[in-house]
Amino acid sequence: MTYDLELLFGASICYLLLLFFIAYATDSGIIPERLIKHPLVYILSLGVYATSWSFYGSVGFAEREGFQFLTIYLGVTFAFLLTPLLLKPILHITRDYQLTSLADLFAFRYRSQLAGILVTIFMLVGSLPYIALQIRAVSESLQVLTQEATPNAIALWFCIMLILFAVLFGARHISPREKHMGLVAAIAFESAVKLIAILAVGGFAIFGVFSGPGDLARWLSENPEATEALYKPMHDGPWLTLMFLAFAASFLLPRQFHMAFTENLSPRFMDSASWGFPLFLLLINLAIPPILWAGQYLNLGIDPDYYVLGIVITEKPSWLPIMTFIGGVSAASAMVIVTTLALSSMCLNHLLLPASYPDPKVDLYRWLLWGRRLLITIIIFAGYGFYQLLERNQGLVQLGLISFVAVAQFVPGIVGVLFWRRATKLGFIVGLLGGVAAWSVTLLIPLLERSGFISTGIDLPALRHISGLDYWEFATFWSLAINGLLFVMVSLLSTQSKGEQDAALACRSGAPGQLSGVVTASSPEQFMDGLAGIIGKETANKEVAQALRDLKMSPQETRSSELRRLRERIERNLSGLVGPHMAHMIINQRLEMDSAAKTALADSMHYVEQQLSKSRSRLRGLAADLDNMRRYHQQILLDLPLGVCAIEADHSVVIWNLALETMSGVPSHQAVGRDIKSLPSPWDGLLTGFALAQDSHIHHMEITLDGRPRWFNLHKATVLDQDQKQMETGSRTSLVMLLEDLTDLEILEAELAHSDRLASIGRLAAGVAHEIGNPVTGIHSLAQNLREEQDQEQISQSIEAILQQTRRISNIVKSLMNFSRSGDIGTDHHEFILAEIIEEAVRLVQLTHKSNQIEWQVDCPADLSLVGDKQRLSQVLVNLLTNACDASGAKNSIEIIAKKQDAEVIIEIIDHGKGIPSDVQEFMFEPFFTTKAPGEGTGLGLSMAHKIIQEHNGKIIFDSEPDVGTRVEIHLPQTSDQA
Amino acid sequence: MPPINDPDKLREHSALLGLLILFLFATPLTLWWATPTHPWFLPYLLWLLVIFLGAVISYRYRGHDL
Repeated sequence: MTYDLELLFGASICYLLLLFFIAYATDSGIIPERLIKHPLVYILSLGVYATSWSFYGSVGFAEREGFQFLTIYLGVTFAFLLTPLLLKPILHITRDYQLTSLADLFAFRYRSQLAGILVTIFMLVGSLPYIALQIRAVSESLQVLTQEATPNAIALWFCIMLILFAVLFGARHISPREKHMGLVAAIAFESAVKLIAILAVGGFAIFGVFSGPGDLARWLSENPEATEALYKPMHDGPWLTLMFLAFAASFLLPRQFHMAFTENLSPRFMDSASWGFPLFLLLINLAIPPILWAGQYLNLGIDPDYYVLGIVITEKPSWLPIMTFIGGVSAASAMVIVTTLALSSMCLNHLLLPASYPDPKVDLYRWLLWGRRLLITIIIFAGYGFYQLLERNQGLVQLGLISFVAVAQFVPGIVGVLFWRRATKLGFIVGLLGGVAAWSVTLLIPLLERSGFISTGIDLPALRHISGLDYWEFATFWSLAINGLLFVMVSLLSTQSKGEQDAALACRSGAPGQLSGVVTASSPEQFMDGLAGIIGKETANKEVAQALRDLKMSPQETRSSELRRLRERIERNLSGLVGPHMAHMIINQRLEMDSAAKTALADSMHYVEQQLSKSRSRLRGLAADLDNMRRYHQQILLDLPLGVCAIEADHSVVIWNLALETMSGVPSHQAVGRDIKSLPSPWDGLLTGFALAQDSHIHHMEITLDGRPRWFNLHKATVLDQDQKQMETGSRTSLVMLLEDLTDLEILEAELAHSDRLASIGRLAAGVAHEIGNPVTGIHSLAQNLREEQDQEQISQSIEAILQQTRRISNIVKSLMNFSRSGDIGTDHHEFILAEIIEEAVRLVQLTHKSNQIEWQVDCPADLSLVGDKQRLSQVLVNLLTNACDASGAKNSIEIIAKKQDAEVIIEIIDHGKGIPSDVQEFMFEPFFTTKAPGEGTGLGLSMAHKIIQEHNGKIIFDSEPDVGTRVEIHLPQTSDQA
Repeated sequence: MPPINDPDKLREHSALLGLLILFLFATPLTLWWATPTHPWFLPYLLWLLVIFLGAVISYRYRGHDL
């Protein structure tokens, strides 16, 4: 039976509208994103490889060339199973550098606009026959179903629908660098439809045409020539050539490159596709032999290319022919849409933009968007034009293979991208031109000749006969041989520019060459101003803001290392917008580098770190061991419990470790690369001062942080740059500074000192009680007498005596309270009279040692003053005098002599007691070391005295002789600076 | 099976699988399987075998950081 043209046209329009809906539903979030971001969707989207050639043409191909039709898919399987070696590296380059097409990739690798232009033009020429093939397949499939000539308008309407779809969903975003999930979903759906359709036709062939697998097997055994016809052409056909062509086409065809790399949503999906996509191709081809045999069995009498449709047409109306037709429309439309999108992106970046770059006043985004849409329309119409001009007898596969040989010309270029760093721009261009010329002579011109457009008179069949090669072998061999030879020879004879070398290195290792120079712009705002002159103010602002967001960088950033990263990021982002070459030009022109300026060490270190982290998995042997060692040392530095800060000669921070982050509250990423003068207070002053100071060590430096005092020991060392260049021009020094936080220790010591004082008070308590007891008894007696006393004079004398006794008590209590007070640590420095604290200390010590009847001799000028912590120095005297009393016997004398000598005050305490044994002297400043009986001493007295004197920049000297006595000398600067 | 994170081994195994597919489909071995005495779907079975091995490799090395 035949089908109405209107019905089929209506079905195809409905199907295309369904595609519109799927794409729209995805883009607007009706279909959840997690469904689209699934490896299966990615695998199905790669199914765009299977065009109407696969859907219809494979059966015809199998009929003519037997199992050779499988080569077109085995080649793809080979390429995808080599994903880790072949496809993943390309994916990483395209993602890292925002390259949206093969032309972008080559323009980036060979740093050549001409390379991009040539690739674009050649890709365009090579793809047009393929687009024409799809239009023809849809048109001819209609003819098979309707049994009448298809009006030209149908093909035209098909093209218009495809233009609408491509414009609405493929060029939806302003920037081509953004992913089009709607498009991916629609293409995946199309692949599912064609897979189901071809499997349904295959099932129909086995169960509908034959009565099942058994019937098919019986028919095959009765007709052995049917299976022989599948095997026979394999032995003398271009099997290897076709496999190679399919291998190249699997990732170099514009539509494959676009879906595999440009629209890839996650690199992980490619791992699943490495086996999932070949499985999809296997399934789609499984049905081909049964369909062929069913067609032969039915003796359809139509072109075997359309057996897929022919066998499902039955006497009764059925849904299967319409579904099959829709499967064919699917295969054709997906190919045209994706190929056109890829080509439009190439044409925009490499033809339109270089030829007519818009004025900066024009909105660049809008210009690019509409430029792309216009190009989509032109390309699809060009395909339609090609379809109109082509001769009709050319098989579907033949047209497809012409495109395959065309894209195979990029294989040498890909070798240069992935494996051969020495390949040059000139080698690539000359090789490609040679290959294209050979391709034109062997394939394109014969095609045009057969279509009657030109006549050259070249006798290619004779040449092929002489060479003994098949049609496809001849074209593939000569085009690639000329291309490859020229590529290698010219590359070896020409030299690479610096840009090419950097790009080649970036493609091989994922990192550009060594850093040199710094960006002249000094802030993101200046970046905007610089770019505005060429891409317009609004676009410049958006691009800089986008790059800042990508890098999570502050708009106030001024560090040269960060600005360099920003520049690199903007170039990558612009590459996704206007192509790598144009982006490189814009950046070089508008964001200049000062190549004379020395690259900051922090930049270089950051850069090397970044590159090593990227390529660590590629390090082998000694390099890997060295890297492990480097990481170990780095970790030591980072985890060191001391603050480590390394600075360059220009005072920019190179290292800022974790301990310093904790101490300062300044994160490493904010400190590194910054001048220490621009660090937050008080670190700016502290580190700058210490860097400039003569001393290599500063002890007990006190700073105020968040309103609280903190103490640090600081140490520094000079690091000489060993670089040979530096040695020639005079060495450049950098510094490493260590910061030791003493605050906790200081607090602990203050608590210990207080404990020591309390212990002293405990020991003093008995004496104090006794001392207070006497005046209290006196007051008691006087008060009793007062009750009886009438004489006013006696009363006045008694009252005066009471007051005297209470003053005495008050003085004792005051001395005790002064001594026991827990003062603030180290901040209480002021001037005081030395005689006062000596007197007070003597009074306190006397309370506990009254029974000894010590004779005290104090010689201190009444006006001798001292700057320091009065309370802590008083503690020192109490401790030392207590020790002197403890060592002295009854009625011994203790002398206290204070005098001024130059800028120092010297206090001598001399006793004539039992002295300090020599074996004890070396331990006597250690905390908790005591020779007294338990309960009589804490062992903290001398250690505290020693520490307090040190804090006052003073020193304490002991001179003791057993059984003769001890002489203690305290030296203190009179106007002491706190240590 | 725990995933293996060894990009080198992954590359080696992929290359070996590539050699296997060449061995099966691009050497005179094709003369062995391309005869009418074998079932017509034998090429598909060989193809499926290669895909299966590819899936096994992909599964084993699912933790790689390539």
